Amino acid sequence: MRAGRLIGRIVLAFAGFMAVFPLAWTALNALKNNVDIITRVPRLVFTPTLANINYIIGRDSVLTGLYNSVVACGSAVLIGVVLGLPAAYAVARYPNRWAGDIQFFVLSLRFLPPVAVAIPLMVIWLQIGLYDTLPALIVTYCLLTISVIMWLAIPAFQAVPKEIEEAAFVDGYGAYSVFWRIALPVAARSLAGAVAFSFVLVWNEFLIALMLSSSNAKTLPIVASELSQQGMNVPWGILNASVVLLSLPPLLFLGVLSGFLNSVFRQKKT
Amino acid sequence: MPRRSSLPVTFVVPTLVILLTLSMVPTLYAIIIALQNRELSSTTYSWVWFSNFVDLFSDRRFLNAVWVSVKWEIVTVVATMVVAVGLGVLMFEVAGPRLRNLYCLLFIIPVLLPRVSAAFVWKFAYHPLYGIATYPYRLLTGGLIFDPLSKPSTALFAVASVDVWQWGLFFGVIVLKLLETLPPQPIEAARLDHAKRWQIHAYVTLPMLKAPLVSLMFVKMIESLRSFDLIYVMTRGGPGVATETLDMYAFSQGFIESGKVSYASAMAVLMMIATVITFTMLWKRVQA
Repeated sequence: MRAGRLIGRIVLAFAGFMAVFPLAWTALNALKNNVDIITRVPRLVFTPTLANINYIIGRDSVLTGLYNSVVACGSAVLIGVVLGLPAAYAVARYPNRWAGDIQFFVLSLRFLPPVAVAIPLMVIWLQIGLYDTLPALIVTYCLLTISVIMWLAIPAFQAVPKEIEEAAFVDGYGAYSVFWRIALPVAARSLAGAVAFSFVLVWNEFLIALMLSSSNAKTLPIVASELSQQGMNVPWGILNASVVLLSLPPLLFLGVLSGFLNSVFRQKKT
Repeated sequence: MPRRSSLPVTFVVPTLVILLTLSMVPTLYAIIIALQNRELSSTTYSWVWFSNFVDLFSDRRFLNAVWVSVKWEIVTVVATMVVAVGLGVLMFEVAGPRLRNLYCLLFIIPVLLPRVSAAFVWKFAYHPLYGIATYPYRLLTGGLIFDPLSKPSTALFAVASVDVWQWGLFFGVIVLKLLETLPPQPIEAARLDHAKRWQIHAYVTLPMLKAPLVSLMFVKMIESLRSFDLIYVMTRGGPGVATETLDMYAFSQGFIESGKVSYASAMAVLMMIATVITFTMLWKRVQA
């Protein structure tokens, strides 16, 4: 039994190591000169350089990509919040006979293969003349953000104790001010998790952005993937630096999202 | 709740109208394009009805892509669930509360990474000469070269390992949280009957969690459909067509090789029909 526990601990520690090591190694490589990366024996001791990072943040294409990503994801998430949260609240609190169907419809949007959406949209945007523009990308991403925010916010609103809302009605609040002043603030933490999740999802989105942009509206994932297509001539350090830059924003939400996970499962327990 | 309020209508209807428009317009348009013979290079086109679909079934690359996609689904879903249950049970058994919190945080990191980032991280790691993941092999064999991404027999598994790295660890956290929600009495009872640790999990806790685990698997099946980013960055469908899934093939037919948008769309429509039917049926069964 003792040996079993020890082996279990070792396996677990190894898994924990595997979870972060590849990324940490990439971050280290971002600080290396090319000679320190292209070695048969991995080098842990080296003279760090900021050249790769400076190169990356000094490039116009990267900055444009960053700008496009921030604007496209930010706007799509904002629209998702404005349209998704109220709808989720209505489904959670005023269930009618379509509530189940609405929930299934919202989930089923996730079944659609991204290619199946991207090909016709590309043709449509080309015809309207909006191909390769940020508005086209934002509208497309709204489909993602609205549906994901709705899907996650419905249980979050359902978890708000009904008694609080009923007390507010007794106090003379109308339906809308109950939503604004009671439901939204009480559910705020779970809702923040849902919104953060939708942001990470569109920030990481690749296929649709790839098909809907050719030069002006490229998002950061596309720019990063293009750096590598110039063959292995591109210094690896620069590529590693661009991977790190791309990965940072989602990791900022690590705390919010793990708190969200905890709150979801605490609800189930009670 | 007040019975007569305009709130449900004003809150739900606009959102649903927008969602329906945003999803139905591309879906219907995809079907229309699939019935025509549009190409990227020309602006003229005509209706060819079902000939794209007929062509698909005699296209051996398409049939290969179907098979690769099916393999991808099975490999990633099964491996993710095995890793997740294994790690969840291990954390439940051997880690104290503080270690659990630490592991939970660590295991969420990979899934937050953009797929493009994860793909690059591992593409470097799998490099035959300079990669960190192939280093132990070089060390042990005295410098032999192992290139998992360019061997047809290993490429799919190498890419799938990245997917499992992202999702398996994350689902491990969820399995742990599910185990923590279980009431302690049945576990105590089994322990009093001298059940071994693994027996408790195999016969008591995991069967109790059957419903949430099935839902978890359902989520993974949906997410596994999004393999494109990983494959595009790591292998581009290669070597040969060994990792060419349906979305990769549709993309290369439509945009890289020939610009046959209609042909690609026909493929996408078939995918859409297959996934919508499969997942709707599965969902009804999971809910029942």
